[in-house]
Amino acid sequence: MNKILTSLLSLGLACSAALAADAAITAVKVTDSLKAIKADSAVWSKAKFSSVTLYPQTAIEMNDKKANALCENAKAKKAQVAALYDGKSIALMVKWADGTKDLQTGATSTEYSDGFAVQFAGATAKPQPLPYIGMGSVGRPVVVHLQKATEKVYEPNGNKDVSIQVNRQQTDVFGKELAAFDAKVAALAVTDYERVFVGEGFRSLTEIKDGSMKAESAMIYGTSGWIGTLSRPLKDDYVNLSGTVPVSIAVWDGSKMGRNGLKNLSAWIAINLDGQKQNAALIADLTTDSKGNAAKGKEAAESNGCSGCHQMTSADSKSFMAPSLKNVGGYSTASYLRESIVKPSAAIVPGYNRNAHSNTPWYNIEKGKRISTMTDYSHLDKNTLDDIVAYLETLKAEVE
Amino acid sequence: MSKRQLAMVMDLNKCIGCQTCTVACKTQWTNRNGREYMYWNNVETYPGTGYPKNWMELGGGFDAAGDLQPGVIPNLEADYGVPWDYNYESLMTDSADHNRFQPHISPTWGPNWDEDQGAGAFPQDNYFFYLPRICNHCTNPGCLSACPRDAIFKREQDGVVLVDLDRCQGYRYCIAGCPYKKIYFNPKISKSEKCILCFPRIEQGLPPACAQQCVGRIRFVGFLDDLDSQVHKLVNVYKVAIGLRPDYGTQPNVYYVPPTESPAKFDAEGKIIEGSTRLPIEELEKLFGKEVHGAIKTLKAEMKKRKETGVSELMDILIAYQHADMFRLDNHYYQEVAKEQNRTPLAPVDTRYIAGKFTKAGGHH
Repeated sequence: MNKILTSLLSLGLACSAALAADAAITAVKVTDSLKAIKADSAVWSKAKFSSVTLYPQTAIEMNDKKANALCENAKAKKAQVAALYDGKSIALMVKWADGTKDLQTGATSTEYSDGFAVQFAGATAKPQPLPYIGMGSVGRPVVVHLQKATEKVYEPNGNKDVSIQVNRQQTDVFGKELAAFDAKVAALAVTDYERVFVGEGFRSLTEIKDGSMKAESAMIYGTSGWIGTLSRPLKDDYVNLSGTVPVSIAVWDGSKMGRNGLKNLSAWIAINLDGQKQNAALIADLTTDSKGNAAKGKEAAESNGCSGCHQMTSADSKSFMAPSLKNVGGYSTASYLRESIVKPSAAIVPGYNRNAHSNTPWYNIEKGKRISTMTDYSHLDKNTLDDIVAYLETLKAEVE
Repeated sequence: MSKRQLAMVMDLNKCIGCQTCTVACKTQWTNRNGREYMYWNNVETYPGTGYPKNWMELGGGFDAAGDLQPGVIPNLEADYGVPWDYNYESLMTDSADHNRFQPHISPTWGPNWDEDQGAGAFPQDNYFFYLPRICNHCTNPGCLSACPRDAIFKREQDGVVLVDLDRCQGYRYCIAGCPYKKIYFNPKISKSEKCILCFPRIEQGLPPACAQQCVGRIRFVGFLDDLDSQVHKLVNVYKVAIGLRPDYGTQPNVYYVPPTESPAKFDAEGKIIEGSTRLPIEELEKLFGKEVHGAIKTLKAEMKKRKETGVSELMDILIAYQHADMFRLDNHYYQEVAKEQNRTPLAPVDTRYIAGKFTKAGGHH
């Protein structure tokens, strides 16, 4: 009996490890305008939902002791994602389970809100290789739409209404005048936390504040989970979306002190705009796994000393020297993994502030360019490379 | 490291814990806009829990290998203390008997909750002293190193550490990374804020509000490389001013003249134990490192010299005769920096403090 159970379990593990990357999502073309679409808009009934797996981001571990303890060995999550487009705009809906509704209330120093983000690859002359999944890489920018769950947050509202940005106790009014003051403050309250950033690797993210971004995102809490929606133009100063659109989804759990890198994120996933010419090469890149042999790849990774700098699994000790790879198979494409092995400087994970771990820099700056401290492994033969990539693809957390 | 470093020296022998600095800072910067709970300047009783509660146990800073250490972000209610107010309005309007003067919450913690408690047994060997604290504008800041958004920067011209509120996204790793817990989260705007060393004042030749208002005249402000500044003399020449907790590895730029003067202990009969001192040297060593011994030795020697001969430059400096000598802000320097950066130089408001190394005309007096 035990034997059967064990073999069943191992079969289950083997299945999940060998599980292919998430399939492409179909964006259904609709005639309704998507510009002002809401989570409860009727047009969503036309959408086709696909399952997307979101893996805990573990490339770097930040310095918040409590948050790190809460997120230790975090599991992957499933989200249901659907897309619509109307010729001018694209709309996405992301549904994911979250047992606690954590809002940004503006009340205390230790609250963290739930949130979600959608990442698009910035418009560049050469769409491939895709930007690094962790908010882009140098020369390969991304656009990130972030939405946090908020409650009305009073004063200050950011609109420079300074006279109203004081506590009611600090006003010199009483009675009816105080009630009028309260009403004025409430009317000026900020209710939304929606931000759009352009990034070329983490730490480089810069908010778009000049009004050039016309996007609308929102979050509503349903039965033990969130529904997030985003609507944005297919074409603007930052992206030019057609045919096959690579996106990545991230969600944050406020109850786990999630913010910044403490999140679950998907690999690049393909959204096919139904009826448009699809990019077969891009789809293949995002949905095909390495043909290599993972078991052999594990041996090759060991003999090439990867774990000298990288944490490969939770069993390895943590290292400040290089990104942890324990979920790299979850959020990376095979082509990115291959590129990183043979051309370590092609997309450098900027990692920690260089001052935080000054003895273990991930890169050096030579003639203004970041040069990775990782050895170049381009001497490996094709089969060994395929095997190592196949092994790296198995490095990911189980789905919760 | 910045090109120049502005620094502050606080003479702990003279701090009387009056909180005038705290109030000067609060009314200037933190009485509004989500900063109500913050004390960019606070004065705590040592030994004690400090502000925020047990900040020395909350991690951050660097280990000997130079790696940033993980830390804990204090809770507003439990560790900082909710700033409470009273029901003034209802006292005006509601005359019912049950309506009494009361705080709007039931406070469980606040800054200086343990003020003047100290340690030891009264009256034999009880002791405490006051420890005023602001941001240390460190040469190797833990907050800056922890920020994953490069939102914290150290100004080239004077080493003041500031938060770029445009880049800050409220992740709060800076709070975990600062071993002094002198950077705070503003929950209203979801961004971090901290002591700015009153840079709008110093750029106009005025010392920070806390230093200007200090009734004990314990604070000296100046550039460490300005050979005529008293800060330079206290830190680099006499070496009687030492950074707090140098073991945190952040190289703080607020320096303290350690408390050397404490009364003798009493024995069981209430008689003075000659030659004893209430302040345990181990406590000072914990706060200021081994260098504290040298500082105390110099201070004692100069005090003796002054008593015997009437002459001691160090004692003259510590007596703090003139604000003009205690604060060398070198306004002319900031005027030059502004010109270099194509900014409109600010007109000096108070000419008393403008004399400094880079000031060509006038000189200090």
